[in-house]
Amino acid sequence: MKRTLAHLVTVSALALSVALGAGAAQAKEFLLGSELPLTGSLARVGQGMHEGISVAVEMANRSYAGKHSFKVQTIDDETSPAKGVAAVEKLAGDGVVAITGGYGSNIIGPASEAAQKAGLVYITSGGVSPELTQRGYPTFFRINNTDGYALAMIGLLQDMGAKKVSIVYLNKDATSSLARQVNTALTAKGVTVGMHEFDASTSDFKPLMNKVKLQDRPDTIAMVGYENDYVGILRASKVLKPQVKAVVGVWSLATAQMAKEFPDLMENVYGTSMLPYPVEFTQPEAVEFAATYKKLFNKDPDYLGQFGYVQTRLLIDAVVRADEAGTLGKGGLPDELRKTDANTLIGRVTFDKNGDNLNFTHRMGQHQGGKVVLVWPQDAANGKMNFPAVPW
Amino acid sequence: MLELTLQALFSGLLAGGYYATVAVGLALVFGTMRVINLAHGELVLLAAYVAYAAESNYGVSPVLAIPVALVIVAAASALVYALLSRIDQDREINSLILTFGLGIILTNTILSIWAADIRSTSDPWFQDSMVVADTLFAMNAEVAAFVGGLVLMAGVWWWLNHSWQGRAVRALSSNRAAATLMGVNPRKIEILSFMIAALLATFAGFAIYTGKTVFPALGHVLTVKAFIITVLAGMGSIPGVLIGAVMIGVIESLTVTYLSASLQELAGMILFLVVLFVSPSGLFGGGRALAR
Repeated sequence: MKRTLAHLVTVSALALSVALGAGAAQAKEFLLGSELPLTGSLARVGQGMHEGISVAVEMANRSYAGKHSFKVQTIDDETSPAKGVAAVEKLAGDGVVAITGGYGSNIIGPASEAAQKAGLVYITSGGVSPELTQRGYPTFFRINNTDGYALAMIGLLQDMGAKKVSIVYLNKDATSSLARQVNTALTAKGVTVGMHEFDASTSDFKPLMNKVKLQDRPDTIAMVGYENDYVGILRASKVLKPQVKAVVGVWSLATAQMAKEFPDLMENVYGTSMLPYPVEFTQPEAVEFAATYKKLFNKDPDYLGQFGYVQTRLLIDAVVRADEAGTLGKGGLPDELRKTDANTLIGRVTFDKNGDNLNFTHRMGQHQGGKVVLVWPQDAANGKMNFPAVPW
Repeated sequence: MLELTLQALFSGLLAGGYYATVAVGLALVFGTMRVINLAHGELVLLAAYVAYAAESNYGVSPVLAIPVALVIVAAASALVYALLSRIDQDREINSLILTFGLGIILTNTILSIWAADIRSTSDPWFQDSMVVADTLFAMNAEVAAFVGGLVLMAGVWWWLNHSWQGRAVRALSSNRAAATLMGVNPRKIEILSFMIAALLATFAGFAIYTGKTVFPALGHVLTVKAFIITVLAGMGSIPGVLIGAVMIGVIESLTVTYLSASLQELAGMILFLVVLFVSPSGLFGGGRALAR
């Protein structure tokens, strides 16, 4: 009896190991490429997106376990367009199936051109300049764009009843383009707009904000830049105290990081935000995303991680579909991506013929007592806006 | 219009103070060793991050973190000097390559320890406003940095002109061989210069941490600005550094006020080129200019 049982166990174990071995043998491994600024002036945003990409790969490996597996090879472009191109060429040479990543329209432009030449899909959320999709590259895809940010900023300013707005903006591709778009829309609605461009090297904003205060005399200040620009503008404003009702910005502003690092500066300031802080997730995918993010990085996810996750997950799903259809090796991935119609953590994503996601609209959050409260649009709001209110 | 101009001049003066505190260490080392330390900006940044670490981890005021930062920056400077002193041939060009490489190593060390997020002091006193005659506005941090920087620069200038070691530095700067024959120990004087540059870098790092924001890629930007000011001043001139830095600060500030903030860097560079065109040795150059 004992011998029979032992025999049965041995046979079962053998059968199981053969079955698992066969499964493993059938599982295909796909190598994704990622080109990102992990050092240099865009290191923070690059690392944030990298975290989201890592979460997407981890979750995909769980959900496709036994069938497919994914790895990501990341190359740091050091916030340099030339090194971005070199990174894409290296990834193409290493046989990646597609590229996810990129930050900064000026880097993504040449890097995605290199991907196009190599016949590789390049998907991003780090370049919102309209010129990127106007090129009409069949391999270029992005899940967000200037329009989505501009709509949110314009919508909030309109709801506030802003009559005179000073737009203080960084003279880079994406920031200038967004500032111009907001200016055009507000001017068309009869709002008086003052445009003030600055350079990335600007660290003292007092002369600029004094001009805004004494010459423009706006009721609202709109900022389009990055974290250190916002801190400089807000510090200068706090010293000069212009008589405004609100200070509104865009990306990298209504974040947990800014709430923690600069609580005295951020109170009542608005910025684009998909998530409130503390984060509230209800959808199963979002809950899993947040849990995986926490497990991997021991912190709550931010918007960069969220965007990095969504773009990579959509890419992975398209890779699987193309592989199952037998078109992956025959240039079928762009077509599969173009078939995407998914409800994601950033809303519905579909791609037009230029690879743009025309459904993209952002939300606006406001720093309130160390939290970020979603205040626009009304259907996404989880609190009321403090208005009029400024940090000083 | 008058209000705008006065504020522009005041802001330019304070910005010049920041630039000078960063540049003067670079000028001192160049004056002594004829070496451009391209890792100087990263040493400034290291001091700023030590102040951040002390404040965020232990709740220590950035002011109290200065001695700790000084020890760390001095140790890093000593390492830079130790490596530089091993260069036997083509010292000027090889030191550029070496210090550039050390700068990259320091930047990435800072990045891996403190991440890429922007940092600044959370002590509200530094950001509180100081208003002069209801017209001129500044943060306490800016005024403190300007006054502190001025005192330090005056101290360095006095030391160079009135102490034995200071005279030895100037002698070494003027004629290394002759100074050695007169009993000056070049190694001792060079390392002393590096230590004083470390002190200046520590103060500059503290000033930037309390008045601006810091991030790992900032070091290179600081080095470039310091280099421009050092050349504008006349290589090795300490008073020239202050005057050159204030000139750059004021021209940038006036450009922001009357033209565009996006042209301020260009305006500074045009000033730099005009000065070099008129006076190729810089404002106070013309040979071995240390302490003039």
